[in-house]
Amino acid sequence: MNLSTNSTEPVIRVENVSRWFGSVVSVSDVSFDIKPGITGLLGPNGAGKTTLLRMITGLAEVSDGSITMFGEPVRNNSHLYRRIGVMSEHETVYEFMKGREFVKMMGRLKDVSNLDSAVDRAISLVDLADAAHRPMGTYSRGMRQRMRLAATLVHDPEILILDEPLNGADPRQRVHFQNLLKQLASEGRTIVLSSHILEEVEQIAETVLLIVNGKLAASGDFHAIRAALDERPYHIRVISDSPRELASEIVKLESVDAVNVDPDGAIVVLSRNVRDLQIELPRLAQKKSVRVRRVEPLDDSLESVFGYLVER
Amino acid sequence: MSSVYRLTLRQLSGRWRLLITLLLAALPVVMGVMWRLIEGDSFPDLEYQEVALNAMLAGAIIPLITLAIATAAFSNEVEDRTLANLTLSPIPRWQIVVPKLLGSLTIGGIFLTVSALATSYIVFSGDMTATIAITAGAVVAIVLYTTVFLWAGLLTTRSIAFGLLYVFLWEGLFSQNVTVVRFLSIRHYAITLMHRMDDRLFADGEHLSTGVVIGAAASVFVIFLLLAIRRLRTMDVP
Repeated sequence: MNLSTNSTEPVIRVENVSRWFGSVVSVSDVSFDIKPGITGLLGPNGAGKTTLLRMITGLAEVSDGSITMFGEPVRNNSHLYRRIGVMSEHETVYEFMKGREFVKMMGRLKDVSNLDSAVDRAISLVDLADAAHRPMGTYSRGMRQRMRLAATLVHDPEILILDEPLNGADPRQRVHFQNLLKQLASEGRTIVLSSHILEEVEQIAETVLLIVNGKLAASGDFHAIRAALDERPYHIRVISDSPRELASEIVKLESVDAVNVDPDGAIVVLSRNVRDLQIELPRLAQKKSVRVRRVEPLDDSLESVFGYLVER
Repeated sequence: MSSVYRLTLRQLSGRWRLLITLLLAALPVVMGVMWRLIEGDSFPDLEYQEVALNAMLAGAIIPLITLAIATAAFSNEVEDRTLANLTLSPIPRWQIVVPKLLGSLTIGGIFLTVSALATSYIVFSGDMTATIAITAGAVVAIVLYTTVFLWAGLLTTRSIAFGLLYVFLWEGLFSQNVTVVRFLSIRHYAITLMHRMDDRLFADGEHLSTGVVIGAAASVFVIFLLLAIRRLRTMDVP
């Protein structure tokens, strides 16, 4: 299927959107356009990704601003759902229903013509034909996700909005899923995919929207954002028998910006080239006959990565 | 609409729900059989009518069963977060609410209508005027309670607590003791209809006119159906 959408025109437009719950601001004045292809919505847990996706799909009301798809408002515009496929992050399914029944019901609700062949096609896309006649209550987490994806694809939507779709998927399923999304995008579809895992988005998304604390922290080409991440300094903690002696050697390394020795005897190294430090540290320890007991990153959490990008 | 209707039937047809519904619906029938065995062929007196038909059937069994079934039609989908499957489909909201209502009426209504029919037929020794009057009053109560509780299932996650307060305070306490509340009491609509269709039933009570009851019942049905549709349009779907 080749879709006729003009790739220069935004398919989804989010303008100055905010959402608050009482005094808590979940999404704050966010604006962006989404064009055909795969867009990754990236951010730590609790950043506001799901709220934003729920507003984009019309499930939740915006407190301020506007959201349009194909130039039309989404909320309470039910006919648009013929063109949109949405897979929420929740894995709950109708447990009493067989997989094929579920996909067929969703196809019927979406008014799909040639329903049986559309259902077979959607189920084969997610590689679940063998389990299609089993109740979904017996499915594993990954199988549920795949059957829900089949139900999302049954009406061949132009826009796919997927909230944390790789939750519960094993490595083989992830590869299959990523290939499937790339194939769907190559046919001209617009795919928005949220995740809190950087590497997951890196492998498939061409464009990234980075959400932190309900705000759009960065957006654009994934590789530019990744390059910015590579320049990020890391704090590494080194526990050794002789911290002062080892620190005096570490500070001489070109890749090291600063070295501190904590009162408890731990060395904290600030480096922009962790790989170089990984290679040099054992050599230095051996040279000075110092025993290194532990090496650990202090700020390798996703939150700190996002925090770095936001501060830039 | 048929997809949502069939889905609702399957969601509400859990074994335990059906079993409890069956047992509750059988209570008035069992009580009717016992009364008939004790009292013989005599026409049920006002005390029996008040206790078995008014307080038990219209005041407890019908509202409790419809509460359990109608609130579940939406609240289970809200709790399971499956409601988005329906609201993300290209169908107007009324085409979700109406089949949900019909599904709730099918599951709860069948048991309750058969219960009212069997109870009245047994107790009134096959007197068709009384049987039809009681069954018709019960059907009106089933439809109205179901519509109100369907809306409650969308309104709050504590719809059962809301419903119990409504049944026992509004319908049970206030409508029996505060005259003006009878204008807004489903239980009283049912009792009035039974009386208007057979004046031997609840003969000593103060009843509204037939026109007022029909108008009020139709208004309750339409208003709460529209409220449910509106709620589904304006709520944040989880």
